[in-house]
Amino acid sequence: MNQAGTSQAELLYEAQQRKVRQFRNNVVITWIVLLGLLIFLFSGPIQIDTDFIRRNTLFIASGIGETLNISVLSIVLAIILALLAALGRLSTIPPVYAVSTFYVSLIRGTPLFLQIFFFFLALPQLGIVLPGLIAGVLALGLNYGAYMSETFRAGIASVSKGQREAAIAIGMTPTQTMRRIVLPQALRFAIPPMGNDFISMTKDSALVSATGFVHDVMWRATRVGRAEFNSLEALIIAAVFYWMMTLILTTFQNRMEARLARGDR
Amino acid sequence: MREGIAKMTPIVKISNLDKYFGRLHVLKDISLDVKEREVVCLIGRSGSGKSTLLRCINFLEEPSSGIIEVDGVKVDGGEKGKAHRGLVHNIRLKTGMVFQEFNLFPHMSVLENVIEGPVIVKGMDKDKAISLAEENLDSVGMLFKKDEYPLRLSGGQKQRVAIARALTMQPKVMLFDEPTSALDPELIGEVLNVMKKVAKDGMTMLVVTHEMGFAREVADRVLVMGDGEIIEDAKPKTLFTRPKDPRTKALIDRYRSGEN
Ligand SMILES: Nc1ncnc2c1ncn2[C@@H]1O[C@H](COP(=O)(O)OP(=O)(O)OP(=O)(O)O)[C@@H](O)[C@H]1O
Ligand SMILES: [Mg+2]
Repeated sequence: MNQAGTSQAELLYEAQQRKVRQFRNNVVITWIVLLGLLIFLFSGPIQIDTDFIRRNTLFIASGIGETLNISVLSIVLAIILALLAALGRLSTIPPVYAVSTFYVSLIRGTPLFLQIFFFFLALPQLGIVLPGLIAGVLALGLNYGAYMSETFRAGIASVSKGQREAAIAIGMTPTQTMRRIVLPQALRFAIPPMGNDFISMTKDSALVSATGFVHDVMWRATRVGRAEFNSLEALIIAAVFYWMMTLILTTFQNRMEARLARGDR
Repeated sequence: MREGIAKMTPIVKISNLDKYFGRLHVLKDISLDVKEREVVCLIGRSGSGKSTLLRCINFLEEPSSGIIEVDGVKVDGGEKGKAHRGLVHNIRLKTGMVFQEFNLFPHMSVLENVIEGPVIVKGMDKDKAISLAEENLDSVGMLFKKDEYPLRLSGGQKQRVAIARALTMQPKVMLFDEPTSALDPELIGEVLNVMKKVAKDGMTMLVVTHEMGFAREVADRVLVMGDGEIIEDAKPKTLFTRPKDPRTKALIDRYRSGEN
């Protein structure tokens, strides 16, 4: 009887696995069909200038470095600001709490695009002229920092009261408790969303190109596209590069998450 | 039971302790002496204030008023300021605490959990901390898991590591708040055995517990709490055979019928 029960469970399990496999296969097939359709559209029905593509792909691709550069610098700034804002939010000192909430509210209450132009166009009016890269990093970093502070706050909140009490009971000061017990656990909690934020950043960094001072993928694409009236081709090239970057970064992120999920650390 | 208790002066001295949570009067004018090497069990109904009493001793809860004295460090409850914080810190160095939920640090290995306090708080030399930690892990039977992470341990193993972590701070008094209540029944024994060993090694212990067998066998005194007061304070034998307070009798009958 027991024997029969086991084999029935196995059968059910196998049927389930078959379904999962089937689903995955169908998804992959549809993806390939959609991709094929896109390629077909652009190779026949929609006329595109392949000569333009051949001449300008390298020029646009050489903006990848700048795109990654600005994204990495911005995310580093964002992480620092987010951490400070999250800690400020926990502070019992009124001015510290106020500065933190003010910052988050102001940034989240205004468009990213406006903030970027503020750094490039409004500051010079006050006599502050920043190099393009720095202005872009400041704008993106400030913006993402405000949003990511919520992630850190959630991370800190995810650490149980018992953890703090155990630290306090062995005589740790509040600072030691935060640095050695709470933050390491909060950061681990925040790593997957931070990965998502970095991937979004690589794409949002394209907004900075609108100011004309940062020569990233987007800037290069719009420049050659406009110059030769081939924006369609130029934007397709840029889209492919952004998409590829996202796919690669997502793969990295999935691997990292799988490692964290194993939870041996 | 164990020699050398009678002659000792109290190592924990609680005088006129009151604790309010908002308007809720949780501890009512409690005074209590615990002598060196003494093992005191606290029993009582849920909500009677056992945990709060224990947590006031190491200031996880700030007393509303009263005096807590541990091994010569005397702290006035309800005070504030830097001097007060310094004294509280000294008291925490003299007390180790074991929690119902273990509260091991999940991002640190077993060994790292145990040396964290001595190294970070006491500034102990790391090699010295490791050898001390290994000694204590060995005595709770957990040395073989020293490089493992808490996630991979059973509840009983976690609690034994938590005991080693507290011991490695070399406290004068150990506070246990229902150390076996979160454990599967088959894992309770291993933790109680470790606690018996700690008691035998001469540690002063205050233990909130529902384990009447442990109280009967190991405790020098059993305190019964009811509605924020100590309603009975007696040797286990006396308490279990001739309880004075009807509430104590009711409590013991409940344990007898295995209801907890
Ligand atoms: N942080 C708190 N804020 C408000 N009330 C609290 C707090 N902690 C405990 N209490 C209340 O104080 C009373 C005593 O609680 P305590 O945890 O000391 O009881 P206990 O005897 O340990 O009970 P149990 O056996 O359930 O652990 C209870 O009424 C409880 O609800
Ligand atoms: Mg309790």
